[in-house]
Amino acid sequence: MADGILIENVVKTYGSGDTAVHALRGVDMAVAKGEVVGLIGPSGSGKSTLLKCLGAVIEPTSGRMTIGDRCIYDNGWKVRDLRALRRDLIGFIFQAPYLIPFLDVTDNVALLPMLAGKSNAVARKEARDLLGALDVGHRAAAMPSQLSGGEQQRVAIARALINRPPVILADEPTAPLDGQRALAVVGLLNDMAQQFDTAIIIVTHDEKIIPTFKRLYNIRDGRTVEEVPGASVPEVPA
Amino acid sequence: MISLAGRDILHGWGKYMLTGVGLGLLIGVTLSMAGVYRGMVDDAQALLDNSQADLWVVQKDTLGPYAEPSNLAEDSERPIQAMRGVAQAAGVTYLTMQIAHGDEDVRVMVVGAEMGAPGLPGQPTHLVAGRHIVRGHYEAVADVKSGFAIGDRVKVRRNFYTIVGLTSRMVSSGGDPMLFLSLKDAQAAQFQKDSDAILRQRARIAASPQLNPPGNPAVSQAVNAVQSENNNVNAVLVTLSPNAQPDEVAAAIRRWQRLTVYTRAQMEEILVDKLIANSARQIAMFLVILSIVSAAIVAFIIYTMTIGKIREIAVLKLIGTRDRTIAWMILQQALGLGLIGFVVGKIAASLWAPFFPKYVLLLPADSIRGFFAVMLICTLASVLAIQAALKVDPAEAIGG
Repeated sequence: MADGILIENVVKTYGSGDTAVHALRGVDMAVAKGEVVGLIGPSGSGKSTLLKCLGAVIEPTSGRMTIGDRCIYDNGWKVRDLRALRRDLIGFIFQAPYLIPFLDVTDNVALLPMLAGKSNAVARKEARDLLGALDVGHRAAAMPSQLSGGEQQRVAIARALINRPPVILADEPTAPLDGQRALAVVGLLNDMAQQFDTAIIIVTHDEKIIPTFKRLYNIRDGRTVEEVPGASVPEVPA
Repeated sequence: MISLAGRDILHGWGKYMLTGVGLGLLIGVTLSMAGVYRGMVDDAQALLDNSQADLWVVQKDTLGPYAEPSNLAEDSERPIQAMRGVAQAAGVTYLTMQIAHGDEDVRVMVVGAEMGAPGLPGQPTHLVAGRHIVRGHYEAVADVKSGFAIGDRVKVRRNFYTIVGLTSRMVSSGGDPMLFLSLKDAQAAQFQKDSDAILRQRARIAASPQLNPPGNPAVSQAVNAVQSENNNVNAVLVTLSPNAQPDEVAAAIRRWQRLTVYTRAQMEEILVDKLIANSARQIAMFLVILSIVSAAIVAFIIYTMTIGKIREIAVLKLIGTRDRTIAWMILQQALGLGLIGFVVGKIAASLWAPFFPKYVLLLPADSIRGFFAVMLICTLASVLAIQAALKVDPAEAIGG
């Protein structure tokens, strides 16, 4: 397995004793650099909890997580500054684009490198170059409210990629899009994963895009099962 | 790093500006209230300055002539005049009354001053038009605030007086414009009885065997004459010789003339700490209430603005924005609101101040204090919103 993200026996339990809720019961996943994998499962199966653990937003109860060659969690965080970890190592794409409405397209993307300490000019140049690569360079000066849904999602992808993170976590990124646009976004993410050598995990319910994944994890009752798309049609809740 | 607060403000500048203007009008009212208080103090000091006195000699054990009634004999000034350290002494009367001006009444303070020699304390100063009173009777000098013009004839009690001069900023401690008459005219206005009262007085004396002894009508005539004339004044204003110490001269007058004497500092204390103290406390209460209301409004506005951006704040935190960057953004917005509010408030207060019936004095020092108070209030008001923002969980950006 090339360096991407490796999750070993990750457990997350909310509460304790009789009222304990076991959201993750020992999740194992491995995603290589340049690879895009799907993560599916019914509501309440633990998808969002796994995403939050991977995103260093909540702390797992136990297990081990490695990004690239860096162990970030081993029964405890191995990184002191989780904000910097999220900023530098993880890109996020949300269900809705959630662009900052008061920043123009360029600054929405350039904000991350600015937060990482780059100068405004350098950050903006990088943002414009990336927006160009994602075919939204012509909307660089527009405000998010002036963009179509597809354009907004491309800008959100640019924001996730701008710091060249080794991992991108996408939480139902095609949910607001119609079939053609949804497939286009997945195609774009595949291209970007290869171009930027990034491991991408896409949480989805979207039946249209599931067959496009080469590898698929199905999470049920807090455990992941690897499935091969096309070999059997996974059960996807409405 | 770009200014997140600045971009957010620019994005919704219309709403932000309108909020700032609304807050500014409230701040304008607050500044005006402070200006009203300053105006009252300034009116009181103008009254003392314009009297040109160093000492006020009044009826024993009274706080006269401005805070309490005071009557003393007009000729009290002669022994005072003769005392060491006294340069000039002149009797003066004060009477606040309504007088007709066209179809309306004007509230004025009628001042009776000795016009015998120029420069006597109590005489009108700051003449902006016309001349001083030169005739013994029926001439008056009015402050421009009264609305009278030169040549106007005004009725005070039973007599008419012609306005021959106009002064500026000569007002009572309550802000009423002054109307100067000669001392004799003012005494008549203040103490002279009307015809019915004189008739009743004469009848009472005629009926009294002690005041109207049989076979000796000269006694009742003398009593009538004494009771019909009044030579009292409300105070004797004293100016001191160069190098004379006010406290020493005041002590000497108290000892030898058995009268109450106030120095300038004591009279200021009476006017500011006693006469307008209740008004000052009233205004202070308004200032406190307005400050609390302003703080509550700013807190509510900033809190609402922040709550409206919870999702954006969650995203910002998720992608690595530090808490202090988010707190600074909210604080900048609160301070910006305060700045707009202060500028609008200052302009509004300056524009509407001349329309207040009382003198509104907007001091630059008060404006500076007000600015810092507004900034402090905005800082405190943003605390609630900052707390709310810092509690936002970055996980809120992720569904589930």
